[in-house]
Amino acid sequence: MKRHISRKEFLKEMGFISLLVATEGHCFWPSGKNEEKKDIRGHVFKNDAPKDLWKWSIEGFHYTTNGKDVQCGVCPNRCYLRPGDRSVCRSKVNIGGKLYSLAYGNPCAIHIDPIEKKPLSHFHPATSVFSIAAAGCNFRCLNCQNWEISQRKPEEVNHYELFPADVVRAAKEKNIPSIAYTYSEPTSYYEYMYDTARLARAEGIKNVWVSNGYINRKPLEDLAQYLDAANVNLKSYDDGIYRRLNGGTLQPVLNTFKLLHEKGVWFEMTTLVVPGYVDKPEMTKRMCGWILKELGPNYPLHFLRFFPRYKLDRLPATPVKTLELLRDIALKEGIHYVYLGNVPGHDAYNTYCHNCQKILIRRIGYEIAEFNINDGRCKFCNTPIPGRWGAQVGGSK
Amino acid sequence: MRRKNRNNNDPTKASIFHGTGYLMNLTSLIIVSIFATGISSIAVQIVTVREFLSQFSGNEITISLVLFCWLIVSGLGSLVSRFFPKKSINLYSIIALVTALLPLIQITAIRLFRDTIFIHGESPGFYPIFLYILTLSAPYAFLIGFILPYSLAVIKARGGQFTAGQLYITDNIGDIAGGVLCSFILLYFLTPFKIIAVSSFLLILISLLLIIRMKRYLIFLISLFPVIAFFVFSFGQGFEPSTLFNQYGSNIVSYQESPYGRIVLTKEKGEYTLWESGTPIFSTFNITAAEEKVHYPLCQLDRIEDVLLVSGGMGETFDEVLKYAPRHIDYVELDPTLIRVATQSGLLSPKAQVTIIPTDGRKHITHTNKRYSAVIVDLPEPDTFQINRFYTKEFFEKTKRILEKDGILSFSLIANPNYLSEVRIKKLSSIFNTVKQCFRNVLLIPGREIYFLASDGQLTADIPLELKKRSIVTSYIHGFYYGDVTKERIKFINEAIDPAEPTNTDFRPRVINILSKEWFKKYGTSPNWFMAGLLGVLVLYLSLTRKEEYVLFSTGFAAMGVEMLILFSFQVIYGYIYLKVGAIITSFLLGLLPGAVLGNKWKKRGKGMLLRAEAGMILLLIVYLIWATFSQSSMPESVFLLYGFTFSMLCGFQFPIAAEMIGEERSPAAGLFAADLVGAGAGTLAIGTLLIPLFGVQAAIIGLILIKAASTVVVLRA
Repeated sequence: MKRHISRKEFLKEMGFISLLVATEGHCFWPSGKNEEKKDIRGHVFKNDAPKDLWKWSIEGFHYTTNGKDVQCGVCPNRCYLRPGDRSVCRSKVNIGGKLYSLAYGNPCAIHIDPIEKKPLSHFHPATSVFSIAAAGCNFRCLNCQNWEISQRKPEEVNHYELFPADVVRAAKEKNIPSIAYTYSEPTSYYEYMYDTARLARAEGIKNVWVSNGYINRKPLEDLAQYLDAANVNLKSYDDGIYRRLNGGTLQPVLNTFKLLHEKGVWFEMTTLVVPGYVDKPEMTKRMCGWILKELGPNYPLHFLRFFPRYKLDRLPATPVKTLELLRDIALKEGIHYVYLGNVPGHDAYNTYCHNCQKILIRRIGYEIAEFNINDGRCKFCNTPIPGRWGAQVGGSK
Repeated sequence: MRRKNRNNNDPTKASIFHGTGYLMNLTSLIIVSIFATGISSIAVQIVTVREFLSQFSGNEITISLVLFCWLIVSGLGSLVSRFFPKKSINLYSIIALVTALLPLIQITAIRLFRDTIFIHGESPGFYPIFLYILTLSAPYAFLIGFILPYSLAVIKARGGQFTAGQLYITDNIGDIAGGVLCSFILLYFLTPFKIIAVSSFLLILISLLLIIRMKRYLIFLISLFPVIAFFVFSFGQGFEPSTLFNQYGSNIVSYQESPYGRIVLTKEKGEYTLWESGTPIFSTFNITAAEEKVHYPLCQLDRIEDVLLVSGGMGETFDEVLKYAPRHIDYVELDPTLIRVATQSGLLSPKAQVTIIPTDGRKHITHTNKRYSAVIVDLPEPDTFQINRFYTKEFFEKTKRILEKDGILSFSLIANPNYLSEVRIKKLSSIFNTVKQCFRNVLLIPGREIYFLASDGQLTADIPLELKKRSIVTSYIHGFYYGDVTKERIKFINEAIDPAEPTNTDFRPRVINILSKEWFKKYGTSPNWFMAGLLGVLVLYLSLTRKEEYVLFSTGFAAMGVEMLILFSFQVIYGYIYLKVGAIITSFLLGLLPGAVLGNKWKKRGKGMLLRAEAGMILLLIVYLIWATFSQSSMPESVFLLYGFTFSMLCGFQFPIAAEMIGEERSPAAGLFAADLVGAGAGTLAIGTLLIPLFGVQAAIIGLILIKAASTVVVLRA
C-alpha cells in the first residue's frame, strides 16, 4: 500500500501530463495557422469530398484541370483542389479530376420577400421577389445571420428539390416578377444561379443577385448578361477589416462594382455599420470618394444598423446617430441616394429627389405610402431618377 | 562550499540547534500563511470565474472549464511539489509572496489579452476559450496547488510537527474565511482588484514577515516594490477601469460589480448600451425588439388588466405596454444593481403604473397571489441551469396558475426565420411540446426571434390587423410585419415542429444539451476530441494512483458533483437568490472542517472509518435519488444546507484517514491533494456539462453512486 514514487515513475507521470496538454492543445488552433487569429479567411477542406456525386451535382463552370487537380475560377479564393478536396465555400469538390458543384437544384431556403428587403429601393418598388438559397459561402463573416446555411456543406442542410426550370415555373405560377439569389452567398452556387437566371430571362422574369461581390471577372461577365439588379455588400473600405471580420479582401469587391457598372446592371450597395470597425467617418469619406470616381453618384448606398449576432455578439448595436452621421457624410460627398436600414420609422427609408429634395417615395416599412415618380422622373422637377422603375408600382398595401 | 555557508547563515537552521522558540514562530508563521493562502485562493477563484464569464459566454461550459482548469492545474502543482527536492523557507516565502501578488496580474492579463488573441467583439469557440482559460489561470492555479503540500514539506524539513490532516484543516479554515468574506461582504462593496488586494493582504504580510525573520533584507527591500505597486494598482482610481477599455471602449459611463455580474453602461453619441457580464443586453432605440415582445402577445387579448414582465423592461418596452392602458405592470428584474444603473440613466423610467420588483422571476411567479392578463418573459437562451428554469414544464404550469382565464404567456428563442437547422428544430420542438402540455393553443411567430405565444384562448398571427382594430400605432410592425413575417414563414416554422421531441423539465433539462450542441455547431467544432483525450489521460492517471488516493479522487468527484446538483435543485425550487446560493456553497465549505477534525481524531481507526464515510455518502446519494425521483417537492431550505454540510463533512472526514493509511513519513499530502483536486475537476465537468444536461438529475446521482460504490470496493479490497 505504502510506496514511494521513483524518479522514473515521476518522469512517467510527467509524460502523461504532457500528453494531456499536448492532446488538448492539438485542438486549439485549427490547422495551426497563425493568421487565423486576425485573418479569418477560409481554407480548403482536405479529403472532405463525398465519395460519390449525388442527385444535386453538376460539373462546375469556370475551372481548370490538369486531369488530376482542379482549380475553381469562380471567386477570388481560386481554390486549388486535389482529388477529394472541398472548396472554401464548401459547395465545390474535386472528384476524378473534375470540379463539381454539390449545390444544384437543392435550395435550403425558399421564400417570397418584398424587393425592399434585399434591400433594393430603386428597383420595381413594392414588388415581390421569389428568393432562394443553397448552402455555402466563400466568406466567413463573424456576424452572419444566415450562418446555418452559409457556413454549412450542401449535404449538411435540409433542402428542397427545385431545379432551375422548377424555380422559374414556381415564380411564374405565383406571378412573381423577380427571382433573388440571396440569404447565403449565391456565388457559391454559381452554376445553379446561372442556369436559373438564363431560363428566367427567357421567361421574362427578372434576376436579382444579393451578394458579397467576391467573384471573378469572367464568371460575373457571364452572369451579368442575365442580371437585372444586384445588391452587393461593401462591407467596409478597409482590406484589414475585410480579412478580420469577413474572411475576404476588398479589391475584388471593388472590381465587381466596376464591372456591374460597366455592364449596365442596376445595383445598390449595402454597408453594415459595425461599431468600432465600419463606423469611422474618415473611412466613409474615402469610400464615397471611390464610389463617386469609379461609379458615379447614382447608385444608392444603404447603411444598416448592426445588432450583435452569431460570433460577433460582444459589440453594441450601432448608435442611430452614427448612422445619421455617415449618411450625412455620404450625401455631402455627393452620393445622391443614401438610406438607413434596421431603424424602423426613420425618415431615411424614404427616397428624396436629389435635385429638388422633395419626397419621391414615402415608405412605411416595406409599404409605399406615397409615390412621386412618373416614367422614371421626379413628379416635381422632372429630374430623371436613377433606378429601374417599371411601368407602375405594384402590390403596395 | 557555497551551500555550507548559506546553511550556516540560515537562521532557521540556527534555531533548530539553538532553541525551539524561534522555530515555533517560523512554523506558526507558515501555518498562518496556509490559512492566508486559503482566504486568498478562494477569493481569487471567485473573482477569476466571474472574470472569465465576463469575457466569454456565461454558460455552464465556461464555468465548468474554468473550474476544471483550475482544479486540474492545482492538482498538477501538488504533484510537482511532491517531487520538488529543495525544502527552503526562503523559497517558500517568495512563492507565498508571488502567490499573493499574481492574481492582480492574472485578472489584468485576462482583460488585456482577450483582444490581442481574439478579434474584438467576437465570442470565440470551445477550444480557443479552453486554451485561453488554461493559459491564463495556470500559473496561479499551479502555485496554489504547489504551495500547500510544499508548506508541509518545509515545516517537516525543519523538524516541525504538522500533519497532512492538519494542513488540510488549516487550508479549509482559510477557504471558509475567504469564501464567507468574499461572497457575503467583498462582492457587495468592492471591485475585483480591491477584492484581490483585501483578500491577499494577510498572505502578503506573512510572506514579508517570513522574509524578515529569515533576515533576507535585500529580498525584503526588493519585494517592497511589487507590493507597493500591487496596492497602488489595486486601489488607484484609474487603473482598474482602464483595463476594461479594451472590451467596452473608453465611453464607460457606469461600472458596477454586483453579486450577479458586471454591470457596465456605455454611451456613444448620446446613446446607451447596457452590458451584463460582457454581453450587450440593451441598446437605445431598439424599437423592433420592444414592439415584437409586447404587441405579439398583448394584441391577442380583448381586455388587459395586469401585465407581468420578467426581465427586458428597458427602453421603449413600458411605453409599448402602456398603449393598451393596462391597470398595472409588474416588472421583475433579478439584479438590483442593474435596475439602479438603468434607472439612473433613464433606460428604465419610473411610471405610476409600473412596479419594479427586484427578485427572481420564477420565485415571484411561484409565490404571487396576483392574477395577470399576460406574462411576458424576455430572458436569454436557456443554455444555463439558471435560465432553463424559465422554459420547463414546471415553470409553464406555475405561470398558467397566475394567468387569468385565457391569459397569455409569451417568450422567444433565437432562430433564423429563413432556415431551421436540425438542432434548432429540436430546440423549438422541445419547448413547443413542453408548453403545449400546459396551454391549449401555442403559436410560433417568426420575427426577429421565434416568438412563442401560449394561451387557452384563440391566437392569431395577423398582428397588424389586431393593432389596427385597437388603433395602436407602431413603427416596425405597421410597415414591416407582412414582409418579414410572411404567411409561408409562419406555416414553415409551425410545421417544422417535431411532436416526438421530448419535453424540457426542471430535473431533465434537455434544452441545455440541445443548446450546447447548437453552440458547438456554431463553431463547427465538437467536444469529442477533448473528452476522449481527457478520458484517456484520466484513466492513465487513475491507473497510477494509490487506492487511498483513488478514494479521495472519487470523493473530490462526488463532492463537486453533489454541490452542482444541490445548487441546481435549489435554484429550481427557490430561484436564483445570490445570498442563498452563496449559503449553499458555504455549507459545503463549512462541512469539510468538522469532517477533517473528526477524521484527524479517528484516523488511527483506518479502513473501517473510511468505509463508514463511504457508506454515509452512498446513503445520502440514495436519499437524494429517492427525493429527485418520487417527490421533487419543496422542502425547507435548511434541508439543502444540512445536506451540503453533511455530505462535505464526510468528504473532509476521509482526507486525514487516507493520509494516515498511506503514511505521513512518505509525505503523501501532495498526492492526496492532487487526487482530491483532480477528482473535483473531473466531477465538475462530468456532472455539470455532461450528465445533468444529457441524462438529467437522476442519472447524474446514479453516476455519483457508481463512482462511490467503486471506491468502496477499492477500500474493501485494499
